[in-house]
Amino acid sequence: MTMDDKRERFEAQVMPHLDAAYRFARWLSRSPADADDVVQEAFLRAFRGFDRLRGSDVKAWLLTIVRNCHASAHRQQQRRAAVALPGEDDEPAGSALPAPGPDPESASIGADEQRTLERLIAALPDEHREVLLLREMEEMSYREIAAVTGLPIGTVMSRLARARAGLRGRWLEETEGEPRAVR
Amino acid sequence: MQCAEQYRVQAYFDGEVDALSAIDIERHAERCPDCRTLLEDLARTRAHLRRELPFETAPAPLRARIGRALDAEIGAPRVATRALPAPRTRPFWLGALGSLGAALAAGAAVLLLMPVRPDPVLDEIVTAHVRSLMPEHLTDVVSTDRHTVKPWFAGHADVSPVVADFAPEGYRLVGGRADYFERQRAAAVVYQHGAHVINVFAWVAGRDALPEAATRSGYHLAFWRVGNLEYCAVSDAGWDELRRLERLLRDLGAREQMP
Ligand SMILES: [Zn+2]
Repeated sequence: MTMDDKRERFEAQVMPHLDAAYRFARWLSRSPADADDVVQEAFLRAFRGFDRLRGSDVKAWLLTIVRNCHASAHRQQQRRAAVALPGEDDEPAGSALPAPGPDPESASIGADEQRTLERLIAALPDEHREVLLLREMEEMSYREIAAVTGLPIGTVMSRLARARAGLRGRWLEETEGEPRAVR
Repeated sequence: MQCAEQYRVQAYFDGEVDALSAIDIERHAERCPDCRTLLEDLARTRAHLRRELPFETAPAPLRARIGRALDAEIGAPRVATRALPAPRTRPFWLGALGSLGAALAAGAAVLLLMPVRPDPVLDEIVTAHVRSLMPEHLTDVVSTDRHTVKPWFAGHADVSPVVADFAPEGYRLVGGRADYFERQRAAAVVYQHGAHVINVFAWVAGRDALPEAATRSGYHLAFWRVGNLEYCAVSDAGWDELRRLERLLRDLGAREQMP
């Protein structure tokens, strides 16, 4: 296989999953810039490992690489943060998406609801959030999620159940008692 | 408090069980109030997530950056490889990917490396889509009710396409419209997905081959066929979002085809 062939096959088989890779990285990373770096690194690694790809589940394979890239970038950041002086540029560790402040320009109920939901998802434990998003947003099967996260299928199922119950519980807590406008 | 069957019920909800187990679980849920509530909660949470969460797509600069990084990787300037003579009909790998993969691959290929071939139908569709986005042009019949939209087409278009409100899945039915192209009164069903308008055109199949998925002026076009109708979904929404609506409509079309 020549390099050009490889490049073409990669465009055809892997590039269609760029949006999914980006969304996944966006939820894993703390900032859009971090997500960009993770995705670019992941695509480079994917391209280098493309000859070894067996089987047809390209999306799960790619998201596994995204997840690994995120993990190594995250470890590096933590090492840097450990030696950095207080007040340097690292943001505090924590949720993937900062809780967005009120934005009067888009303060419709729909936007409100979306922000609340994003905040609640961001507040889920990392290991719950990823299985939830892979299942509900990327529509991956248990087997695919197990492949991406390196977990046994049983663990995927129990984490998914806890993520869903957790999100639902927090949502009810958040909205309880507040009369909600009908949309 | 939770029933011991909760994981099996969840697996059923996620489509992870075989038909026989599914019957078992359905019977159980009929008797078990906990599991009935669980099923409702699961459905509500899913609908909520898919409706509210933005379905983000990778920013164009990132896509370009990755393209350059890959070019650097193969040590060839992009222009040189793209300048090869390219008059081919279907790249060999499309056959191996199945139709959905092929549609996606074709989309990516058209976008990234194939010379754009003129296809008047694509231009007609994009023009119709853009025209529909102008004020007052989107719909001739406004309704979120398929029982209003579908009969309307009977008097105004030459085809009767599948119509449904997929609001729980994030695709709200907005209405319908008739558009004239492919020498017939094509039906346009209009959906809203987040900030995006998606037009789904339907007409009677007339050509041998469906056009391949394509991108024109920033709008994605996905084609499929159910029975004797050809469909095209067009939008500035991302490929994944378009593909998901295509899948919903294909499934529905297949069900309606059944006797
Ligand atoms: Zn039960």
